[in-house]
Formats: sequence, structure tokens, C-alpha cells
Amino acid sequence: MSDVKTKFIASSINRSTTSPAYLFFSGKGGVGKTTMACATAIGHALQGRRTLIVSTDPASNLSDVFEQDIGHRVVQVRGVDKLFAMEIDPDEATREYKERIIAPFREVMPEDVIASIDEQLSGPCTTEMAAFDRFIDFMETDDYDIIVFDTAPTGHTIRLLELPVDWSRHIEEASKGTGQTCLGPVETIQGSKERYDRATTLLKDPEKTRFIFVMRPDELSLYEALRASKELESIGISKGEIIINGILPEEVCEVEFFRKKYTAQQKVIKKAEDIFIDIPKRYMLLRDSEVKGIDALKSMAEELFDGERPAYNTVALSSSSQAINVKRPDIDSLWLPRRETRAIFFTGKGGVGKTTISCTTALYTAQKGQKTLLVTTDPAAHIGEVLIREIGTEPVKVRENLFAVMVDQEEAFKEYKERILKEARGRYSEDMLRAMEEELNSPCTEEMAAFDRFIQFIVSREYDVIVFDTAPTGHTLRLLSLPFDYARQVEMMVSGADAARPEEDRENPFREIINILKDPERTTFSVVLYPESTPIEESYRAMVDLKEAGIETQLVVANMLIPEEVCVNNFFRNRRTMQLRYLQEIEERFGLPVLSFPLMEDEIRGMEMLEMAVRYLRNT
Amino acid sequence: MKVEIYDPPMCCSSGLCGPNIDPLLVRVNEAILNLKKQGVEVQRFNLAQQPKAFMDNPDVKDLLAREGKEILPITMVNGEVFKTSGYPSYEELCRALGIEPKKSIPIFRV
Repeated sequence: MSDVKTKFIASSINRSTTSPAYLFFSGKGGVGKTTMACATAIGHALQGRRTLIVSTDPASNLSDVFEQDIGHRVVQVRGVDKLFAMEIDPDEATREYKERIIAPFREVMPEDVIASIDEQLSGPCTTEMAAFDRFIDFMETDDYDIIVFDTAPTGHTIRLLELPVDWSRHIEEASKGTGQTCLGPVETIQGSKERYDRATTLLKDPEKTRFIFVMRPDELSLYEALRASKELESIGISKGEIIINGILPEEVCEVEFFRKKYTAQQKVIKKAEDIFIDIPKRYMLLRDSEVKGIDALKSMAEELFDGERPAYNTVALSSSSQAINVKRPDIDSLWLPRRETRAIFFTGKGGVGKTTISCTTALYTAQKGQKTLLVTTDPAAHIGEVLIREIGTEPVKVRENLFAVMVDQEEAFKEYKERILKEARGRYSEDMLRAMEEELNSPCTEEMAAFDRFIQFIVSREYDVIVFDTAPTGHTLRLLSLPFDYARQVEMMVSGADAARPEEDRENPFREIINILKDPERTTFSVVLYPESTPIEESYRAMVDLKEAGIETQLVVANMLIPEEVCVNNFFRNRRTMQLRYLQEIEERFGLPVLSFPLMEDEIRGMEMLEMAVRYLRNT
Repeated sequence: MKVEIYDPPMCCSSGLCGPNIDPLLVRVNEAILNLKKQGVEVQRFNLAQQPKAFMDNPDVKDLLAREGKEILPITMVNGEVFKTSGYPSYEELCRALGIEPKKSIPIFRV
């Protein structure tokens, strides 16, 4: 590994160069993005720069990493003089944003008017708008030398960054058209357009802004980083920097199992170097314990800034048993259909192996004779990567009883629009159709369209089991809360319209789907995580959020447990001990059955390996 | 000649934000398109999106404050309240404005 250090290229993290003012960390959840962002922030603060770290991740965990309550306001980080932190809470931001609009009405208007304005502002557009608004606030202050944004997982990040571009375009179009837009009246946001344009300009200025992709040395992560950098490039943001995190130290990989992983990692690293030739890269080693608390972060900052190698324990930290300490759950009762289609949702941070668990589950139910459809709603879809075949927007047969499909938001949007316009063509005048088309070009319609696709699979009753490989946590939650929001919106539109409308039009098309999602006999929500502190925290919050939406999580899948037989040295024994400790914590904290799934010798790719994984499920 | 329509809160004015086309809202939109072609100035305000417009018009503000949102939609013709709690038809609007309705309205009746 020593050669790795010499490969360092001066980067914005380095003390030797002047750093841009805004650093954005992106990368799939679970790659260590937050840790890297926090360590970078600490590093800059220790060098005397006034530094702020802001999380825009709906499932933020700065509090966990700094071991201090942070929350929705700027606080001083204890133990580091010039460091400040804030977690933007999307709900709180939305509330503040709404209140700004509603406040002038409170004194004059009756309760029901206030309530309906408030209700209307509860749509997904407002949430996005509000979060983005806060985000720009920080880019417009001079209070800090450096602001580090620990952004949401990649797919979400990109959407967030694309917003200013889309919005200003949308605003321009809207002001030419009907004057109606999902984002509020043109006259109220016209003043904001300038702000959005300023934000976009800043985002695209390499002197001011730097994007740092954090990835693990595995194929999926590399693919993700590549995809993310291409997407940023396509909206005019040039490439940034890369941190490859979690590299196995060569000397601890003496057994074949880890040797193979080490070699595979090095191959990916080489590939990354070939792909990202001109981009500064940093290499961070895997540690034998978690990075939490100020001291651990300072040591991490040293590794980041100076290439200092971390120390790890060569003595066993504990002599406790290495045997799995949780009960095996009855997966058949959770995954197989009773009378009607069973929908299985896997939620959890990206990078925890949701995709492989979903694929394995789908193959498992397919082999049990159930006609199974595997659906990915992840904007950065990996199912095709795991199955090694192209997955399109129509279900394709992968093998006996197993089908797969991808819900591509943009595709779905086009289809949805086309369907509505087709219905309208011949019934309405050309002028009318043009007006309709304009209304349909809104971000609201886009959200609606994706969800619409999603529902169709469940209500079609064509499959016995439908497995959803959902997007990372924050996005998932938003998606899942959509039926509730839309149900409210549809109800409101009906009550606001003419009473003479035919009865069948009043049917809320979302009612059925809400009932299905809430019925534990027809829907199984499972949380996937790996047994470490941050993923546990996030998943727990996700579970509570779901519960508030009326949905009970039924299973926790704890993935990537290091098999006992390969732990021949203390580095891995320490890691397994840590994992087992967390396994028990999961069982106690969640009060749910825990399915532990082993770290596999190779990344799961292709049917043969999936079948191996299914055999593991069968034997338990 | 001027028509102002103060709509109840909706996601968009053409009735398309729901999963199906709302024939009523489409009919309203069609009427507006026709009136505009006949030289009538038509403005629409949505309570959810342009709440300020509701506050700025004293008649609308008073009606809303007194009656609540059930009073919506409110249609005003040449500055006078013309109809509340429901949309007027194209023909009604033409009569109020004193113009001849266009013979065939190119719309499919639901």
C-alpha cells in the first residue's frame, strides 16, 4: 500500500492548496461520505479556517459522527474551535418555508382557508423547494471560509443540483405561459429566480465549488461514481475529486477469502485510475473499528490531509464468542403470498446491499414457484448490473418465474404525459391540448408519473410476488409518502370542483394502494443495513418514519456479516466482534426478526452466484 | 371587458395534476380560451399558488373571510362579483359581457 501515498495529487483537501469555499461530498450512502466530510471539515478547522459543515441528507447523521446533538440550526462543534455544524431537517425547512407564505393570511382569513393553503403547500414540490432554499442561504453568507456540504446520496444529490437549472427554465416557461406553476405563482418566485441563477453559477465555478465523490473500491461503487460525474458534467459541472475509501490493508489479507477481496479491490482501484485520469484521488484504508467522535475524526483528517497511515489493533479487543447471537426468522411467512400478490419492499441506505438482497429474495420466491417481478425504482439502477443483463421499462423474463423491470422516472414521465394527452386528443381543441401539455411539464407531474408506474405493477395482479429494490432511504421515504400526499390532493380537488361531477370520478385511485401498503399480509417492509452504528441509526429512523405513515416494518436484514471461519487475524476478529455486538443491538432496538446475511467471497454478479446466495437462505 | 376567476386551491389550473382529466376544469379552461380569442381579458388566480391576489381584491378578501373557502370559485365580471361557489358556463359569461357566444364550442361534452 505504500505506493498509494505517492500517487496523491494536490487536491482541495490538501493544506498546500487554497481550497474552494464550497465542498460537496457525494457518493452512495455507506461509502463513508459523512465521515470523509466531517474529517475534511475538522481538518480545515484545525488549520484555522472558519468551517461549517451542513448536511442536506434527509437521513442525516452528523450527530452520530460528532457524538453531539446538532439538529436544524448552526451549532459549535465541541472540541474544535472553528468548526460549526448544522443538519437541514427537510420537514423543518418545509414548515419554515410554508410559514413564510402563510403568515400574512393568519389574521385575516378563516381557519379553513388557512388549512387549505397549508394543505396545498404540503406537496412534494414544496419540500424540494424548501430544502433547496435553505441550501442557497448558506451559499450566500460570508460567515465561513469553507462550507462543507455532506449531501444526500448520489441520485438525490444530482436531482438537487439539477433543480436550479430546471427551475429557472421552468420559471421562464411559466411566465410566458399560463402563469401557473407547481412551484408557486410566477410573481412570488420571480424574485427567487435570480437567487437560483446565482446558486447555479456558483455551483459551476470550479474556483468556488468542488465536488468530491466518495466511493468504495468495488464495481458498483465505481459505476456509481462514474455515473454521478457524467451526470454532473452533463449539467455543466466539471469533474471534481475522488476519495476511494475502505481499502483493505494488504498485510491483514493473508487468507484466500480476503486475499481475493484485496485483489478485486486493487483491480477496481486500477480501473478507477484509468477512468479518472486527470482527477485528484485519495486513498483511505479500512480500519478495524468505526470512526466516531472527535479524536477518531482528527486521526482520519491526518490520513486525508497528510497520508498518515491509521493504526489498528493487532491484539484482540475482546475474547467473547464469535457465534451468531440472534434467532433465525421464518422468511417464508414474510415473503410468500397468502391469498393476493405479496409486495416486498427493501429499504435502506444505498451501499448496504439492497440490490443483491432484492435479487436474491426474488430468485428465492421464484424458485418456490411464485411468479415474481423484481422492480427497481432507484434512479441509479443496479439490478441490471447484478443480473448482468439489460433491464428496460417493460418487464423482461430473466428465468423461470422471474421477471425484472426498471421504473425510470424520465421514461415514466414521458409515458404518463403521452397517456393523458392521448386521452385528450380528439376530445379537445388544439389550444386546449397545448395548454394541457404546458401544465404537464411540471416537476409535480414527474413525481406523480413514477409513482403511477409503481402502483400499476401492484394492482395488476399479474404476479404472485413483487420485490421492490427501492432507492436510498431519504428518497424511499419521499416516494412512499407520496400516496398519502396525493390522496389528500386528489380529495381536495374533488371537493373544490363542481358538485355535479359523476360519482365514479370521485373515487380516489390511491385509496386501494394505501390499503395494500398498510396490510402486513400483502406487503412486507424490510430494512436492509450492515451491522454498524450509522446504518443502524438511519434505519431505525426510517422505521419510525414508516410507522408514522402507518406502515409497520417486519424484518431487518443485517448484511455483510464477516464469516467466522475467515477471521484468522485480529483485524477481522475485531471487526466481526463489532458486527456481532451491533447484531444484538439491532434485535433489541428494532424488536423485529433479524436475518443475517454473510459477506460473500465475491461481489454477487450473475445467476450462478445469485443461486449460491439463495442456497444460503434455504439452509437457514 | 374583463373576467377574473378566483379558483379554490388546486395543483394546476387545467385539472391535469390529478391522475385523470377533470372534465369540469377542462370545460372552464376551454371557455377561457374562447373568451380570450374574442378579446376578453381573463385572469385566473389559484388560492394555493397566488394567495396574495385573494388578499389584494377587497371583495374577494371579504367574501372569503366571511364565508370560508366554500365560496370559491368566485368569478368577477368587469370588477363585479358575478358568481360564487361554482363556475359559470361559457354562455353565462358571454351574456354578462354582452357578447355573442361562438357558435360551436369545440369540446367533447362529458
